[in-house]
Amino acid sequence: MGAAAVGFQRALRHVGITGEVFAGEVEPGFDAIVHHASKLRVDRDDLVLYHHGIASSLVAKLLHLPCRRGLVFHNITPARFYAGTRLAEPLVTGRAQLTAMAGHLDVSIGVSRYNARELEAAGHRDVKVVPLLVEPERFTVAQADGSMLTRLKKLDTPRIVSVSRVVPHKRVEDLLSLHQELRRITPRAQLVIVGGYDAGQAAFKALARRAKQVGNVTFLGRVTHGQLVAAYRSADCFVSMSEHEGVGVPLLEAFASEVPVIAFGAAAVPETMGGRGLVFDEKHFAALAELTVQVSTDAAVRAGLVEGQTERLKDFSLEAVASALEKALPPRRRPTPKKRDTRRVAFVVQRFGEFIVGGAEAHARQVALKLAPHADVEVFTTCATDHLSWKNELEPGTTRDGPLTVHRFPASRFRNIRGFNRLSDSMFGKPHDLVGETRWVADQGPTVPALLERLVAERERFDAVAFFTYLYQPTVYGVPLLADRALVVPTTHDEPPLAFHLFADAFEKPRALLCNTPEEETLIRERFPNAAPSTIVGVGIDALHPDERRFRQQTGIHGPYLLYVGRMEAGKGVAELLAFHQQLVKKFHDAPTLVLAGSGELQARGSRVVALGRVDEQTKWDALGGALAVVVPSRYESLSLLTLEAFAVGTPVIGNTIGAVVRGQLERSSAGVGYDDERSFIAAVKEVGERRKDLSRHARRYAAKHQWQTVIDAWLTAIDGIKETKR
Amino acid sequence: MKLFGKDVTAKKLLDVVKERLSARGLLPPSEDAGLDRDVEAPVEAFAFAVESMSEHVDTTRGLPIETHRDGLQGRAVVLAKQTFRKVGQLFINEALARQVVFNGHVLDGYSQLSAEVMRLRSRVAELEAELERATTSPKAPVLEVPSVKAAKPAAPKTKAAKPRKPRAR
Repeated sequence: MGAAAVGFQRALRHVGITGEVFAGEVEPGFDAIVHHASKLRVDRDDLVLYHHGIASSLVAKLLHLPCRRGLVFHNITPARFYAGTRLAEPLVTGRAQLTAMAGHLDVSIGVSRYNARELEAAGHRDVKVVPLLVEPERFTVAQADGSMLTRLKKLDTPRIVSVSRVVPHKRVEDLLSLHQELRRITPRAQLVIVGGYDAGQAAFKALARRAKQVGNVTFLGRVTHGQLVAAYRSADCFVSMSEHEGVGVPLLEAFASEVPVIAFGAAAVPETMGGRGLVFDEKHFAALAELTVQVSTDAAVRAGLVEGQTERLKDFSLEAVASALEKALPPRRRPTPKKRDTRRVAFVVQRFGEFIVGGAEAHARQVALKLAPHADVEVFTTCATDHLSWKNELEPGTTRDGPLTVHRFPASRFRNIRGFNRLSDSMFGKPHDLVGETRWVADQGPTVPALLERLVAERERFDAVAFFTYLYQPTVYGVPLLADRALVVPTTHDEPPLAFHLFADAFEKPRALLCNTPEEETLIRERFPNAAPSTIVGVGIDALHPDERRFRQQTGIHGPYLLYVGRMEAGKGVAELLAFHQQLVKKFHDAPTLVLAGSGELQARGSRVVALGRVDEQTKWDALGGALAVVVPSRYESLSLLTLEAFAVGTPVIGNTIGAVVRGQLERSSAGVGYDDERSFIAAVKEVGERRKDLSRHARRYAAKHQWQTVIDAWLTAIDGIKETKR
Repeated sequence: MKLFGKDVTAKKLLDVVKERLSARGLLPPSEDAGLDRDVEAPVEAFAFAVESMSEHVDTTRGLPIETHRDGLQGRAVVLAKQTFRKVGQLFINEALARQVVFNGHVLDGYSQLSAEVMRLRSRVAELEAELERATTSPKAPVLEVPSVKAAKPAAPKTKAAKPRKPRAR
């Protein structure tokens, strides 16, 4: 149910509704996406959707909430399967609570028609059906855990897979009976059962003993998402013997994994299958074994089944769930759009202010200021100055920044960067389900629900809402909420989180993507083929007149120097740059000094290294003007502003070409030299020393093409495009 | 046994299965099975709550002793639980005495309230049914008599005699 609630929350965002998830019990580590139910506070106009299954004390709370109330029914296993056990009573109590809620709710929803019928039988009126979300993208071969897939593929065929907890109503004993019959026909047949079990339990021990007698049975227990996909993808056939399902999500996951499914037609199973796969009504194990062989080995039968099953998944897509939810919920009042002559644009950015040097936030401010003469620009941002913790250091409320109106909202949760880095290390490079990815995005932050609620409430005031940086929570959650007027400046890097499917909301849902470079655009199209239309917009450069002498006088630096300006962080490649530079110093007595300007966690030490800390704008330009070359060591750039600034004053660039963006900028400009290791770094410094005059000429010519007027024209075209054709 | 699936000819597939079973000398599946399309029966909330509360009102009475473990381990667990209860029953009774009294009052109060709610619900249902009948049933037959206006009575046609003045004495 937790996964279903997170799925509904996402679907609700796609119909413009914000919401939070609360639960009676919150597993440690998930507090970023789920709040404890005791923290639930409601306003009269709120709608609380309670997900019901087994007996819960939350029903009593729900019935007395002073707001609109709704129920999402996931079904309850009939108590007859657990007669004589302590589980029987909470199962019956859950059904009694279902009856008790009838007549006290504004909306009753079943996650299948079968569940809706049970609600009707319990006295609920006007019951709606909203399917559960199943994303086929999460069950592709690429999402399968490689080692598990290899391990399972080594097993003989036919391989039959079943996914369910080992509990009475799932009838694992029937799977064993089927497997026994199957082995009489094909002795090498394998049965793989995926799902949690209690190894010390008498019932499981009995099953394990029987499985040993039958042979070729593997209990995988609880698995990760990648291992689950591997199990599905290794199967020749998926079989379900379950005698009660309110939906039967594993059936749909098997559909998504392109495995033919054979299932006993209990409760909601025939409805879930929707005529796809094969449903049977009698557990004649010898017949079912023959059927399983036929389905596993007959290519034409398999292909027909898989094709139909894939078709069926459309009914469980994000669009289908969102549309059904929108129809099920009470109608909302929507303010009527007002016609205006002037353009009005909202900018959403994780931090904002003059104090931010470089990066997407500085980019956002530059664009906002340049756009201000052509449109009313309001900025929606946080109270944070520190992007690691998102701590509220600035006052919330509305202020002015020149021509801009700035609305600041406090973060409701701060980031523990160490814990977050540990989470990232454990998640990167591995497949995850929606809950896992949502947890990462929530932990990433900044969490500012009030910002999104305000934007949604005031949506009609804006012709366009521009979100900066795809990677942060306000963009991932905000774009689907305001999709009809959303522009995204994604500043995409080739970095591990880009593999998360949840970011499809940021790339596929806006009206347009405003990219910085052709490389960024290509990267987005490769990762998200259904991405929204994109334009290469980039930025312009306002260079201040550089005075090299002033810089040298201020800092006491003599002789040639290489310059880096930006955050002093390992992620920016600064540690690697320092190491390469020290090798340069060791090998050449006249190696240039390395000057670093910027603040951050990294301490710059070494021979002929000068760390200036944060410098003012004029000092930066003075330093840029006098440098032998500017070094861009970062591999992860969507656009190197530093490169453009160096070019604007005729200074060549030595850039890390492992990243496609800097490589592209250097190739297109012919005004720099690339490196990708220590040897090539040293060679690049030598080459720049020899060809500086020539490179400098190319640099100025390239920079001349990056004018603000072109950038702002592209922005105005995008905004007017939305204004004219609101979806 | 029936097979359902619109992407293959289910009947053809089942015929192949039956042929193979027959070749192996096995009995085919039955012809008359069918899908159970019924949903689970609802549970009446008030009645269930009263019954369940009655069952558990005496908290000094233990639930049946059970374990999910088998073999020697399972027997040891059951024995330990039985011993604990025998030895500790006196103290359990003492510790939970007030809880038992409280539970009794809660049960009494709840059952009175639920009985009252059920009575009222049934009365509301009766009244609603009456209202429904009154508003939707065809018009009741009426007597064909001229309507009588409830106006002020008509003046008599004969001239009323003037009251005589009293004679002067």
